[in-house]
Amino acid sequence: MSKDNSEQSAQYNKIFIEQAPTAIAMLDKDMRYIAVSQRWITDYKMEGKEIIGQSHYDIFPEIGDDWKANHQKCLNGAIDICEEAPFKRADGSIQWIYWDVRPWYVSEGEIGGLLMHTGDITPQKERERERARMIEILDKTNEVARIGTWEVNLSTNEVYWSKMVCEIHEVPENYQPQLETAINFYKEGESRETIQRVVNEAILTGQPYDVEVELVTAKGTSLWTRAIGSGEFVDGKCVGLFGIFQDINKGKLAEQALSNANAELNAIFNSKSVAIITTNDKGVIDHFNHGAEYLLGYSADEIVGTKMPFVFVKMEEVERFRQDLFQKYGKDSFKGLAENNEFDVREWTYIKKDGTKITVQVTLSPIKNEDGEIIGSLTVASDITAIKNVENELLRKNQVLNFAERLTMIGNWQWNTVSNEVRWSSNLYKIFNVDEETRLTYDTYFSFVHPEDKEMVTNHVQYALEERKFPDLLHRIKLRDGTVKNVQLLAEIMTNDAGEVMELVGTCQDVTEQRMAEIKFRGLLESAPDAMVIVNEAGKIHLINKQAEKLFGYTAKELIGQSIEILVPTRFSKGHTSHRTDFFTNPKVRKMGEGRELYGIDKNGKEIPIQISLSPLKTEDGLLVSSAIRDITTQKLAERKIIQAKEDLEVFAKKLILKNNQLADFNHITSHNLRAPISNLNSLLGFYEISENEEERIELFQKFETVIHHLTTTLDTLVEALKIKNENTEDVLEDIELYPILLKTQELLSGEIMRTGAVIVSDFSKMPRLEYNRIYLESIFLNLLSNALKYRSEERVPKICITAGIENGKNFLRFTDNGQGIDLKRHGHKLFGLNKVFHRHPDAKGIGLFLTKMQVEALGGSISAESEVNVGTTFNINL
Amino acid sequence: MSNSLNVCIVDDDDIYQFTMVKTLKSLRLAENIMTFSDGEEALDFMLDNLHNDKELPDVIFLDIDMPIMDGFQFMEEYVKLKPSLGKKITIYMVSSSVDPVDIERAKKISEIADYMVKPITHNQLRNIVEELGLSGDR
Repeated sequence: MSKDNSEQSAQYNKIFIEQAPTAIAMLDKDMRYIAVSQRWITDYKMEGKEIIGQSHYDIFPEIGDDWKANHQKCLNGAIDICEEAPFKRADGSIQWIYWDVRPWYVSEGEIGGLLMHTGDITPQKERERERARMIEILDKTNEVARIGTWEVNLSTNEVYWSKMVCEIHEVPENYQPQLETAINFYKEGESRETIQRVVNEAILTGQPYDVEVELVTAKGTSLWTRAIGSGEFVDGKCVGLFGIFQDINKGKLAEQALSNANAELNAIFNSKSVAIITTNDKGVIDHFNHGAEYLLGYSADEIVGTKMPFVFVKMEEVERFRQDLFQKYGKDSFKGLAENNEFDVREWTYIKKDGTKITVQVTLSPIKNEDGEIIGSLTVASDITAIKNVENELLRKNQVLNFAERLTMIGNWQWNTVSNEVRWSSNLYKIFNVDEETRLTYDTYFSFVHPEDKEMVTNHVQYALEERKFPDLLHRIKLRDGTVKNVQLLAEIMTNDAGEVMELVGTCQDVTEQRMAEIKFRGLLESAPDAMVIVNEAGKIHLINKQAEKLFGYTAKELIGQSIEILVPTRFSKGHTSHRTDFFTNPKVRKMGEGRELYGIDKNGKEIPIQISLSPLKTEDGLLVSSAIRDITTQKLAERKIIQAKEDLEVFAKKLILKNNQLADFNHITSHNLRAPISNLNSLLGFYEISENEEERIELFQKFETVIHHLTTTLDTLVEALKIKNENTEDVLEDIELYPILLKTQELLSGEIMRTGAVIVSDFSKMPRLEYNRIYLESIFLNLLSNALKYRSEERVPKICITAGIENGKNFLRFTDNGQGIDLKRHGHKLFGLNKVFHRHPDAKGIGLFLTKMQVEALGGSISAESEVNVGTTFNINL
Repeated sequence: MSNSLNVCIVDDDDIYQFTMVKTLKSLRLAENIMTFSDGEEALDFMLDNLHNDKELPDVIFLDIDMPIMDGFQFMEEYVKLKPSLGKKITIYMVSSSVDPVDIERAKKISEIADYMVKPITHNQLRNIVEELGLSGDR
C-alpha cells in the first residue's frame, strides 16, 4: 500500500469511526485519541471538547491502574471484552458500561494502537435493579403476609405451589400435589365443600373467587386461609387456574378472640356470679344486673329507678367506708376516689331481700363524665360467703387440731434439714416442757433424748435420711426437771426434684401412759399359765408370751410377723384359714374347734394335742384375736388309757354276757328238758304201780321206753355240748377244703337228696379253703343241709345254695333254701335253743341248730338266720 | 261230781298228755278231754267253735314250750279272742320249767289263773276241778 493510499485509508477509517452509530474510539500506541465516534462524545459528555490527540488517561483521569494494565495487555495483542461493569466517574456518578478493547494493526504483526468500543448501559441497568428490588420487596411482603401463589394446569392436572403455599400446608418445598389432593387439604365439611364449589364454578364459568376456608395441614394443624383464584381461558375453554393463597389464621383467631372476649364480657354482665350495680348522680340505682338479682334476691324492676344501695348495705359499714376514705383523701369520699382515678376494694356485708346476710367482695368506683364530674358509681360485687366459710372452717379446724393435740398428747413438728430450722406446734412445747419462745434446732430436740436412747435415735435419723423413709420410732426423752417420758415419732420425708432431703414433717406423741399400759399388759400376758398367741386379722402373729415360746420351741422374734399357719399342721391349715376369717366376722369368746381334736406343730415338726380358747381383742392396731393354748398331751394320754380300759371292759362284758347266755341255756335245759321227762317217768311209775292188768303194764312200758329214749338223747346232746365247751378247740384247727366237705355231706344225705330230687349248688370260689375244726365243719354242713331238706316246701323242688366268701373282712358261710321258712317274729328268740322245734315234723328234735350254734360260737363265730314263711331260709355263719 | 266239765290239755309231750288223760279219767274228774300238741291247734279249735259253748273247754292246761305256737304266744291270741267268747274259760299254765322268768311272765297275764309246775299231783287236779265245779253249780 502506498503512503497516500494508507493515508487515505486512515482518513476513511477516521471518517468511519467518527460516524459510527456506537461509541467507538481509536487510539494510538500512546493511548492518544486518533478518532472517536459522535456517540462516544455524547456518551461521555465531551461535546465541544478537543480530544483528538489528547491522551485517553487525561480525558478520563478516573481510570485506575487495573484498567491501564488491561490496556497494556491489549497493546500487546490481547482482546478485552466486558459485558458490564460500573465506571465510577470523576464526578462521583456511576456509569454502567460494556466494552470491547482490541488492538488495531498497522501491518501484519505490528500494532498501531487500540480500538475501544463501549456502550453506556446505565439506564437498562437501573431498570433491572429496580425490578429486582421490586421482586425482593414483594417476596418479603409475601413472607410477612404469608401469601403464596399457585397454578393448576387443567390439561395435565399438575399443580404448582410456591414456597409459601408449601409452607402454609406444612409440606416440603418439592411437594407435588394434584388438584384433588390439594382440595383434600381443606377441612372436611363446609370448607371443603366451599372450595370445591368455587373451583368448579371458576372452571365452568370463569367466575373468580376469594374465600376464607379452614385448612388442615399435613401435620394436622388446623388453620384459616384465604384462597383467591381465577381461570385461564383459551378459546373459551378453561385450561388452568391460578391464584394466591394466604394464611390468615392469626387474623382469624384474633377476630374470634375478640368476639369471644365480647361474649365473655356480655356473659359477665349477665352472669349470676358477679353482681354489677350502677347508680346515677343522685345515688339512685340505674343498673341492676342478673347477678345482682341473684345475689340479693331483689328483681331489677323492684330496684332500678327507685332505690338506693342503702336497701342492702349496713349503715355502719357505709359510715366506716366514708371515714376510711375521708382519712385517706381528706375530703368527700367519692371525690377523692374520682380525682385520683382510684377505686375501693373491701368486704361488705349485704343483706338479702329475705334478711340473710352474706359476705361480698366489692369493687366500688366512681363514674366520671368527660369533664371529670362524678355522674354515678359502679359497684361490682361477688359473693365470698363460701370462701369466708372455708376460711372460718380452716380456723376452726386449726383450733380443733390444737385441741386434739392437747388431748392426745401429740405435737407436730417440721425440720428443715437445709437450714436446720425446726418448728414445733405449741403442744409439743408443752410435752417437752419448754418455753414457746425457745429457738429450735435439731440439737434442741436431741438434747432431750434420753442418754441411753441417744445412739439409737442418731442411727435411726441417719437411716431415715439415707433411705428417704422414716419408720415409726419409739424412744425416751428426759426433761430438764428429770422427768422421763416415752414418745413416739412418725414422720414423712420431703425431697426436692433431685431427690435430696429438704424437710421432715411429723408428729411426736407422748405415749408414756400407753407404754405403761403395754408393760402392764405384757406382765399379764407373761403371767398367764397358758401359751398365749395374739394374731391380727391377716393371720400374722402379733405377740406371744414365754409359755408360747416354750410350747412351740420358737423364740418370740422368730414368730412375730409370721403367719399363724406356721403353728398349724398342714393337714389343718386349709380349714384353719376359713375358720379364722369366720371368727373375725363374728368375734366372740369361744373355744376353738369345738368337738374336734386340735393339734399344733412345734419348731421340730412335732404335733402337740392342744386346746384353744379364742377371744377378740380390740386395739388401736385393729381387731386382734388372743388365743390361749393349752398342751393337753397328758390329758390326751389319760383319755386314751380310759378309752382303752373301757373297750377292754366292753369285750370282757360281751364275753361275760355270752357265758351268761350259755349258762342260762344250761339252766333252761336242766330246768325244762331234763325235768319234763323225769316228771313223766314219775307219772308213768305212779300208773304202773296201780296198774291192774298186764295189758296196761305193757302199754305203760312202751311209754317208759319213749321217755327213756328221749331222756337219753337229751343227755347225749348235753354231753356233746359240754364237750364242745370244754374242748380246747383251737388245737384241732386245720386247713380244710370246703368242697370235699360238701361232697361228704351229700353222700351221707344221698338217700334223702335222691328221694326229694333236691338241687344243691355251691360257690366256694371266693374262699375255697378254711382254717377250722374238721368235725365241727362237717357237723355244721350236715345239720344245715339236712334241716334244709327236712323242712323243704312240699310245693317246690328243694333248691339249696351254699356259698362261702369274705365280707367286711370276715369269713362267712351261707346256706340258702327255698323251703317252708320259719316265722322269725314268733320263733326267732328260740331258734337255736335245745329241743326247740317249729314244725310239726316227725323228726324235728330241736338238736341240730342248738349244736351248730354251740360249735360256731366255740370257735368265736356267730350264726344268724333270715327267713320268710313259704319262701325260704338263709343261715349266715360268720366264721 | 260234775261231769259236764270240758277239759283241754295243750302239750306237745305225748307222755304227759297220756298221764293227764289217764289221771283225769281214773279220778273221774272229767269225761270230755281234748288234747292238742301245740297252741295253734288249740286256737284253731276255739276259732271253729267260738259260740259253741258246749264244745268250748271250761279249763285249759297250757304248756309253755311247744312247737309252732308256744303257751305265751297262745295267750296273746287268746286275749284278742276273749271278748268274742261267750264262755268263761279258766287257764292254767303248766310247765316243767322252774325258771323264775317263766313264772313271772305267766303271773303277769291276768287271764292265767295259776302257774303250775309239772308233775301235777292228783290232789291239785282234784281241787281245781272241784273249785270249777262249785262255781259252775252256782
